[in-house]
Amino acid sequence: MSQVFNVNKAVFARRKRTNKIGLALSMCAMLLGMIFLIWILAILFIKGFSAINLNMFTASTPAPGSEGGGLANAIVGSLMLIASCTLISTPVGVLAGIYLSEYGDRSRVAGVTRFVTDIMLSAPSIVIGLFVYALVVAQVKHFSGWAGTVALALIAIPVVVRTTENMIRLVPGSLREAAYALGTPKWKVAFKITLRAAQSGIMTGILLSLARVSGETAPLLFTALSNQFFSTNMNAPMANLPVVIFQFAMSPYDNWVDLAWGGALLITIAVLGLNILARLVFREKVQG
Amino acid sequence: MSDKHLSSQFDADLNSLSSRLLEMGGLVESQISTAMRGFTQMDVDTCTVVIENEKLVNDLEVQIDLACTELIARRQPIARDLRLVMAVSKAITNLERAGDEAERVAKRTRRLIESGGAHNINTAEIRLSGQMAISLLRRSLDAFARLDTVAAAEVVQEDRHIDEEFRGFVRKLISYMTEDPHTITAGLDMLTIAKAIERIGDHAKNIAEFVIYVAKGADVRHIPHEDLVREANKP
Amino acid sequence: MKTMFDLNKIDSNGGTMELDINPQTKQEVKNALEVRNLNFFYGSFQGLKDINLDIEEGKVTAFIGPSGCGKSTLLRALNRMYDLYPGQRAEGEINFYGHNILSPGEDLNLLRSRIGMVFQKPTPFPMSIYENIAFGVRLYEKLSRSEMDERVEWALNKAALWSEAKDKLNHSGLSLSGGQQQRLCIARGVAVKPSVILLDEPTSALDPISTGKIEELINELKHEYTIAIVTHNMQQAARVSDYTAYMYLGSLIEYGKTDEIFIKPKRKETEDYITGRFG
Repeated sequence: MSQVFNVNKAVFARRKRTNKIGLALSMCAMLLGMIFLIWILAILFIKGFSAINLNMFTASTPAPGSEGGGLANAIVGSLMLIASCTLISTPVGVLAGIYLSEYGDRSRVAGVTRFVTDIMLSAPSIVIGLFVYALVVAQVKHFSGWAGTVALALIAIPVVVRTTENMIRLVPGSLREAAYALGTPKWKVAFKITLRAAQSGIMTGILLSLARVSGETAPLLFTALSNQFFSTNMNAPMANLPVVIFQFAMSPYDNWVDLAWGGALLITIAVLGLNILARLVFREKVQG
Repeated sequence: MSDKHLSSQFDADLNSLSSRLLEMGGLVESQISTAMRGFTQMDVDTCTVVIENEKLVNDLEVQIDLACTELIARRQPIARDLRLVMAVSKAITNLERAGDEAERVAKRTRRLIESGGAHNINTAEIRLSGQMAISLLRRSLDAFARLDTVAAAEVVQEDRHIDEEFRGFVRKLISYMTEDPHTITAGLDMLTIAKAIERIGDHAKNIAEFVIYVAKGADVRHIPHEDLVREANKP
Repeated sequence: MKTMFDLNKIDSNGGTMELDINPQTKQEVKNALEVRNLNFFYGSFQGLKDINLDIEEGKVTAFIGPSGCGKSTLLRALNRMYDLYPGQRAEGEINFYGHNILSPGEDLNLLRSRIGMVFQKPTPFPMSIYENIAFGVRLYEKLSRSEMDERVEWALNKAALWSEAKDKLNHSGLSLSGGQQQRLCIARGVAVKPSVILLDEPTSALDPISTGKIEELINELKHEYTIAIVTHNMQQAARVSDYTAYMYLGSLIEYGKTDEIFIKPKRKETEDYITGRFG
């Protein structure tokens, strides 16, 4: 018995060593990634924290050369753009996702839709911005919040479609069959059973799409542009955080640079927050 | 499809049950043979052997019954397997009683010898029906081993002969006893012996009926003979 | 009212016959479903070959056979579940109280509310226990709140789940144990008051105690519903069913009263299968 054990001891030792090496390598890789993440967050916090005060949320962007100021108009503008984008992209994306997974599973239309969605997922956002510029802004001859909404929606919709479709596909066929077996018509199975079963996953998708569009700059450059003043008029150019940061970051004015860092930190916290929320929502469903 | 179960242990258990039944049958057969020999030769020692061996028959009945119960508990047999186990469980009862009858023959023979009153009665019928009973038992067990329903039906038919022999002997006995009252005591012992043999024939008949039950699934006890034959001959 | 012990008498043929106390009131056997010349195809593969079978009202009929014999296929044809999958088609007739459910233009949703099904894997909907049951009922009936409450309680009682669930009707259906979830699915199916309940290996995924409870349930349900059950557990078929159908490679080999099949089957193939003699 001990003889058998001895023969295996050498093999066991070698395996242990290999395991340790593998573990060490993966830890190093992880640390490498973590270091940069922490570095970014650290710099953002260090540079941007000083700018975060009540003023940032109450005062509008300062004119070039003037002192103080805040990001109120940009924050409100961003919120409005994101809200209106979500109001459009969520229903369109979810319904499209339902169509792809429940109704059009093998049809040509579905195949084409998926293909286009995949392309749009990785389309350069500046291209989308230019597209909306040509389609909307050039036609009406002025920048507007609505144009910005359209651009953001074009970026958000593919994310929602993809996530919705994937989450719905994860719903086991047995659940659908059980609903059909009661005499449930197809649309009710899709909306009242399958959708409900996938709802936390779909919520996650929506939150992730929000996180994605809150940081998009290039499309807004061509559509909503920006606005020096506080405005809630969607028909006119709209101030928003990404573009303001773009404007202020490399300017010669100190207060502008500070505000830029503050805005960057704000966006980062928002995106981080949305991601964490998305995870919590999903985990709660899985456990519940 | 083959005749073997997926579980070879199950096959072994069923086969073991059948062979133990046949083993018990063989023992009972030899008991009856020995008892008949004791009667024919009027030998006390031969009769004593039968009486002493009766215990072995009883023990076998208990053991085989336990084996049947265990098989049912473990395997939940159905269809022909179930019928086989049920039949074995019942057949060993018949065998045990046949063994009792053999012991009864031996005991009465011993009494006859001790009272010395046997010699004036012609016992040809008893000897004849004794042979027939042994043969019938052997053939019924044989039919069981091969699950041969045609042979089994023949056994059922021929049990009638033993019954006729018995009735013939009773008539003779009555006339003997009325002529000479001194022969009554011995005559009654003879009657018991003849009756015991007749019963052995019945037990052999029961075992043959079980053969048809196992093989064809038809319970042929208590039905008219033509119907029994028809069931036995069904493909 | 039929009791467990029907008076039997062995007739001159060695068979059994029921004692006819009142020859005039002899009950007519009514079939809930009659399958006639059913052929089923998965694409080009034929899954069922010329099936002819009656499913008697108020009785439990079990389908047994080795894997791939077509028993689930047959069961799922009875409520046209196969219609969900293109490429699967059935030819022949299935008469549901005289009406052929294979006719084109059949309202499948209505059909499925009359012929319900419970599956192998317990599948509670992602809603509360109450809603799980109310969902099906609401599809075809309009009930007030109190009527619905009654119906939910009735259904849960029928499924022997009321005492365990009555204090947590608002909890998610997923918070129940496996055996309870399956009973919830049965309650859900019973709540819509179908005529026939189809059970596709309902206890395969459950432990022996849950299995026992559900078998007991089947025993009680059969007085009011017609039940067809697919099971790969032969002892279960022997325990719960009145009639058994043995299938092999898409064909119906033998069909008869469960007692007869399990004591004296007519076909050797049947006997070989049920006794565990697989060549």
